[in-house]
Amino acid sequence: MSSERRYTPTHEWIQSFGDPSRMRVGITDFAQKEITDVVFVELPKIGKKVPQGAEAAIIESVKAAFSIYAPMGGEVVGVNSAIESNPALVNADPFGAGWLFELKVDNAQEWNSLLDENGYRALLSSGTGGGH
Amino acid sequence: MSLPLAPYHMQRAAKMTDFHGYLLPLSFTSILEEAKAVREKAGLFDISHMGHFLAKGPDVRRHLNGLITSDFEAVPVGKCLYGLLTNDQGGTVDDLILAASGEDEAHIIVNAGNRTADFSWLRDHLPDSISLEDLSEGQIGLALQGPASSQIVALLGGGFDGMKRREARFSMGPVDQVWISRTGYTGEDGWEFFGPEAAILPVYRILSERGADLGLLQAGLGARDLLRLEMAYPLYGQELSPEKTAFDAGLDFAVNLRKGAFLGKDKMLEKRDDTGRERLTGFVLLERGIPRTHCPVIDPLTGDQVGEVTSGGHSPRVGGGFGLAYMEPHFLREFEQGKEAGIEIHGKIHRARIHDRPFLAGGLSAKNLSTKK
Repeated sequence: MSSERRYTPTHEWIQSFGDPSRMRVGITDFAQKEITDVVFVELPKIGKKVPQGAEAAIIESVKAAFSIYAPMGGEVVGVNSAIESNPALVNADPFGAGWLFELKVDNAQEWNSLLDENGYRALLSSGTGGGH
Repeated sequence: MSLPLAPYHMQRAAKMTDFHGYLLPLSFTSILEEAKAVREKAGLFDISHMGHFLAKGPDVRRHLNGLITSDFEAVPVGKCLYGLLTNDQGGTVDDLILAASGEDEAHIIVNAGNRTADFSWLRDHLPDSISLEDLSEGQIGLALQGPASSQIVALLGGGFDGMKRREARFSMGPVDQVWISRTGYTGEDGWEFFGPEAAILPVYRILSERGADLGLLQAGLGARDLLRLEMAYPLYGQELSPEKTAFDAGLDFAVNLRKGAFLGKDKMLEKRDDTGRERLTGFVLLERGIPRTHCPVIDPLTGDQVGEVTSGGHSPRVGGGFGLAYMEPHFLREFEQGKEAGIEIHGKIHRARIHDRPFLAGGLSAKNLSTKK
């Protein structure tokens, strides 16, 4: 059973799919449109520990490079190898098959600092927010 | 600054970007798809931001010849010429394209970011007998580029498809002071149009509405930059600057040393013979990565910085990351002999080797690569 999806002001999303300690991270549809054609993604190494807000991946598009920040702190326990061979998945299905990596989160309380669906929508309608 | 076609781009939901103060489309759908369309069929670019000047007066070509690297006096009326406007140190004020529209008049197309400075420069360096007018205000500029361009330009009537490569015309029906040339900056066959909205808007409408049936896509600055970089054409502010000469940038073809003197020629020759100067070279990455402007070039043996990337990108046609960089001569000699360089991207060194310029060879619809814009 998947959890609610939450967001950062820098346009990452985080959501669990069953195991609440294992959270999947990706970028939003707004972000993929801004980034344009993704050429490849530099994914973190499995086992890497990233604090909340730290750079965890880099998306290289034809246009520029974009840093992707960890929405919550934790250890990288999985990466989406499908986007290694098909980076266009990030553009085509950012909330689904185009996910980036999975985190075993350290501190569940950090969830409360993230934007919910309404909060993120409000951010988008007020302008572009931070990052990207 | 808003340009005349901006509302049309907005209507198509183009992603817009600021370029030297002008709001222009970065892309309409996808930079990669737009670039591919130009290589395989055709693309239409809004280039209304470019500067367009008209110089008039006796011996106008001779006077301009004293300020540029190429030989404008050797070019007949109605033919375009690429050249560099030089400073007194042989460095580059701008790169431009010129064409004489009559014995005593010449049109000049310059880069958007340099438009004001170029106008002052030319005004200051041309005699009072030459009048200089800036036709850019309110103009529309279009570049139709790609192998299908000649079929598409035929939709306009007017016999443009009969023009020869680098031929220019200066009137369209009742409107004069326009520029129509069979030129471009992508390496493909194509046409460029500059003129008042009344003359060029109908061209835009016909090309954009009816060109689609022949494979035409509207394309933005992202595709334009990638296409010019695949051809290793310079971009002012990146490969060219007041400090860099045509020889530094490898634009020897644009310098005519047999013609009379031009501003900064002696200094330019001194710098050409100075073996201590950095020179521009092309490179491709041997591993995954996209080099960008200002990425350091590192000697992998010593770890020293030996150069800097001026333009970089990713192209499926080149086969990955590639770009142009200025490199110190001692390192460049070894690089030219096959030594690898390191390109630092996000703090990591990526292996690179030299690559011929242009990065794409053969199969391009514009065989003569010595034209610009």
